[in-house]
This record gives sequence, C-alpha cells and structure tokens, in this order.
Amino acid sequence: MKRWIWFLAVVGMGWGMRPAQAQVVVTKGAGQKTGLDMSAFRASPAPAAALFRKTLQDDLVRSGWFSITAAGRGEIVLNGECEESGGSLNAAVRVLHATTGQSYLGKKYPASAGEARRLAHRAADDIIQAVTGWRGMASGRLVLVGNRSRAKELYLCDADGANLVQLTQDRSISLAPRWSPDARTIVYTSYLKRFPDVYSIDVASGSRRIVANFPGLNTGGALSPASREMALVLSRQGNPEIYVKNMAGGQLTRLTTSPQAAEASPCWSPDGNRIVYVSDQPGTPQLYTISRSGGRPQRLTSRGLENVAPDWGANGWIAFASKVGGRYQICIMNPDTQEIRQLTADGADYEDPSWAPDGRHIACARTAGYRSAIYLVDTMGDPPLPLLNTSGDWFSPSWAP
Amino acid sequence: MQMRGWTAAVMAGLIIVAGSGCKKRAPKGGLAGMDNVGGVVGSDLYGEGLSDRFAAGQEMRGQFAPVYFDYDSSQIKDSERSKLDAVASHLQGAASGNLIVEGNCDERGSNEYNLALGERRALAVRAYLVGLGIDGARIQTKSLGEEQPVAMGHEEDSWSQNRRGEFVVVQ
Repeated sequence: MKRWIWFLAVVGMGWGMRPAQAQVVVTKGAGQKTGLDMSAFRASPAPAAALFRKTLQDDLVRSGWFSITAAGRGEIVLNGECEESGGSLNAAVRVLHATTGQSYLGKKYPASAGEARRLAHRAADDIIQAVTGWRGMASGRLVLVGNRSRAKELYLCDADGANLVQLTQDRSISLAPRWSPDARTIVYTSYLKRFPDVYSIDVASGSRRIVANFPGLNTGGALSPASREMALVLSRQGNPEIYVKNMAGGQLTRLTTSPQAAEASPCWSPDGNRIVYVSDQPGTPQLYTISRSGGRPQRLTSRGLENVAPDWGANGWIAFASKVGGRYQICIMNPDTQEIRQLTADGADYEDPSWAPDGRHIACARTAGYRSAIYLVDTMGDPPLPLLNTSGDWFSPSWAP
Repeated sequence: MQMRGWTAAVMAGLIIVAGSGCKKRAPKGGLAGMDNVGGVVGSDLYGEGLSDRFAAGQEMRGQFAPVYFDYDSSQIKDSERSKLDAVASHLQGAASGNLIVEGNCDERGSNEYNLALGERRALAVRAYLVGLGIDGARIQTKSLGEEQPVAMGHEEDSWSQNRRGEFVVVQ
C-alpha cells in the first residue's frame, strides 16, 4: 500500500506552507491524482439532490487532487446518499480507503433545497481536508471587475463561477478590488466623484464609505492582516507613493520616497510586517518590498521586462505577472530564496493573480483575442481552467480570505 | 508671482537632485541646465504638495492639443513643449479658471501600474506649467490609467495616441 504524504511532496518542492498534518494521507506526488470512486453515492432524482452530486463531483475534480474513476477502480471511495424531501435536502457523505477501509470522513449535511450548491461546496472542502490535509477552495468567493454593463463594476461569484452577482451600480469605473481580512468589506477604487478615490463597500448591505479622497491619485487600498492599517497609493504630496493609513486614528505614514518613480499595487505579507509593491524606479516596473514602518526598500525582481500585480499568499509565496517574451505570464516567487517559477506559457496574457484559499491555485485574468476571462492556474502543473468566461470582459479577480 | 513659481520649482529640483545623486536616472532627453524644470528632464516631481480639489464648474475639453508620451515614460518630450506653452499663456491671460490635466496610458501593462503612470504624466505636465509660473492651486491632476483610450486598435499606432495628457479647462 502506498502511503506517501502530501506535505513531504510539497515541502520537497520548496514550499513554505505545510497543510494541517493530523490526517494527511494517501497520494503519489504533486501533480498526480488520487482515484476517487463515487459510484456508490446515491442521489435521488430530485433536482436539488442531483445538483448536490454534480456540484460535489465538479468541486472534487477542480480541486486538482482527484480523478473520478469507474466503480471499483478508485483508491478512495465516496459513498452515502443525498435526498430531497419537503423542501429540505439531506446529504450523508462517507469517505474511506478502498483497500484498508480506513475512514476519513463521515458527516451529514442538512440544508434547505435551495442551498444544494453551498452544501456541496462545504462537503467537497471537508473531503479535501480529510484526505489531503489541504484546505479546499470550493466554498470560496471572488470579487471581480466586469464591463458588461459598459461601465466597469464590481461583481461577486463563487469558486466555480456560479452565482455571479453585480455588487456596485456606480456607472463609473471601479478598479482594484481587495477583500478585508474578515471578508465583510471590499476596498476598491472608483471614479464615482469623477476622480480616482478609495472606497470600502459592505458586501452584505452594499453600503459604501469613502476611505481616501486626497487631491490627485487615490488607489491600491489594501487592509493589513490585522485590519488595523491600510496600504494606499496616494499622490497628494506630488508623486504616487506607498502610504500606510492607521484605521483607528487616520494618521498617514509615507513609506516610499521616489521622486522619479511611480509606485503601485501594495500587498501585505501574511505576517503583516512587510509590503510588496511595484515601482518603476529602475526604468521598468519591478517588485519591491518594504517594512510596514518604512526604511530601505528591497528589490525583488530583475528577471523579465516587467514584473507587476503582486499577491502575497498565506503560504509565503508571491504571485505576480511577469512580461516574458512579449506576454504577461503568471509566476510565483519565494521571497526568502528568490526562487521563481513560471506557471503559464501559452500565447495568452495572464494578469492580476490572486491566491485561492487552498494555497495551491491562483485566479487571474486571461486575455486572448482581445477578450478577458477569469482563469484558474494550478501551481502543481494542471493546465489553466476557465473559472468565469461569460459575456463581457472580466478582470482583477480577488479571492475572499 | 511668476518669478517666484519658477524659482521655487528650480530650487526644489536642485534640492532633490542634490539629495538623491546616485539614484538619478540618466535623462533621456537632450536638455540641460536651466531646462531642468519639473517634468522635463529628471522627472523629479515633489516640487510641492497638491492643492485641494477645486469646486466643479463648467468644463471645456478639446481647447488644447493633448501632449504625448513614450512607453512607460512620464517625461515631457521636446516635441510637446510648445503645446504646454500655449496652455500656460492661456492660463496666464485668464485671471480666473482652472485646469484639470488627465493622464492616460496605452492598454499594455497592469491596470494599477498604469494608474500610477498616468498620474505621473499628469503631474509632469502640472510641474511644467508651474515651472512656467502658473499657480499650482489652479491645476488638478487626474489619472485615468488605461481606462479611456481614444484609439481602439491594438498596435503602436493606437497606443501612441493613447499615451497622452489631456486638458480640461474649468470655469
């Protein structure tokens, strides 16, 4: 019996993050999939039950860890049932090893029939966690910028692209959305009052308040992991620079001083001690980091013509877009070792990466033939998959934490 | 008033140049000496902080020709200076009236970086006008990044038209 351990494979690749170790089991190596036999899972023909089963299966495949096998062929068996009666949905899920019979998960999921998708996402994440030790992304949510109303507005969707809803009705230009660490608000840039200002919008109520409307440019708002400070790009002193605003007292601290350069795209390190950002100080936009309290910036990138749009993941790696051979491609970098890996390489442009909560996937905007859609890029070798590819152009995805 | 604005801009430029010697990028243009006004050679901005946004008024667009920029650059090119001189003499001749300078970029590059680059273009135009004696409080900058192209193509012909500073006169 093979009992390779996920985190060994992963640490062997040089990753800083280890999944929860307790129940970590079964697998072969990064990029290879575990066969999952769902044939014994019974869903009643009711629409909600069928939707639960389909959503669950799609989520498990999208997670990258599993391939669905024919009956009797899987290393892992998923059985149980899902029934709908009187407007409520009851699912029972059991996951066990095909040969040893070891049980990974046995759980009941009751809900109303209207919640079949949400329930399936939860079950999928539980299964992924139990079998691989990794957090799943199926229950995740994204904010995006879309232009299908002709204005650029913010939209929300689920991890599988479903439940697309429009969040803003500004009829303006909305840009650079980023979630608050508690996932309740989204900070973004809007021209609602004709100039680029930073706003924060409450996702549940849609109520909005202004965060920064100084003269000149206000953009790049990003809350620190503890939500006590917000990084911003402001030009109030005569040039775009990175600032930190204390959210309690409102005091502003300017972190960068580069009268000959533009700064953009601040993003906090997971521990909140550093900020990665873009500066064109060297003549082309490159990535730098700086302490939250200022001081001397450190240049991170020199490879490639341009390196932009950094997103510092909870796993310690920074995802960014790098101009390679005339195209933007998604790369990830370990800032401690400076190791860089390029994840995309086809003829399209991949921009604006955002780490998924599973620490394995990255959502980004993919532009091909002058159309932009949201794609999911895998750090373990699976090909990019469309996440949201409906009418209109889609940009700047950001995963809820 | 004019002399004061000019002197202040040059002084600020000299102070910044003196204080940041080794970081200075080699100027791309062929200008030197007294031409080192904000926005022209070293593109040192920071001459002064920006003034508060002025009240909205009647806006006129298209009175002045846009100024164009090179890729990833916010440097005022020689070829564009006469356009700025025309804007300056208009403002000098008008006792009232303000100006919004809109900075724009081509579609290449990250959205957020282009917002910062567009702002630098607008600020470079503002610094140049301040250097010619215009009161900085009459000029506001507004970056549109790559959000408002005038040419919709996807090649240098369109890109070069989109890398621009536009002028909106506010009465």
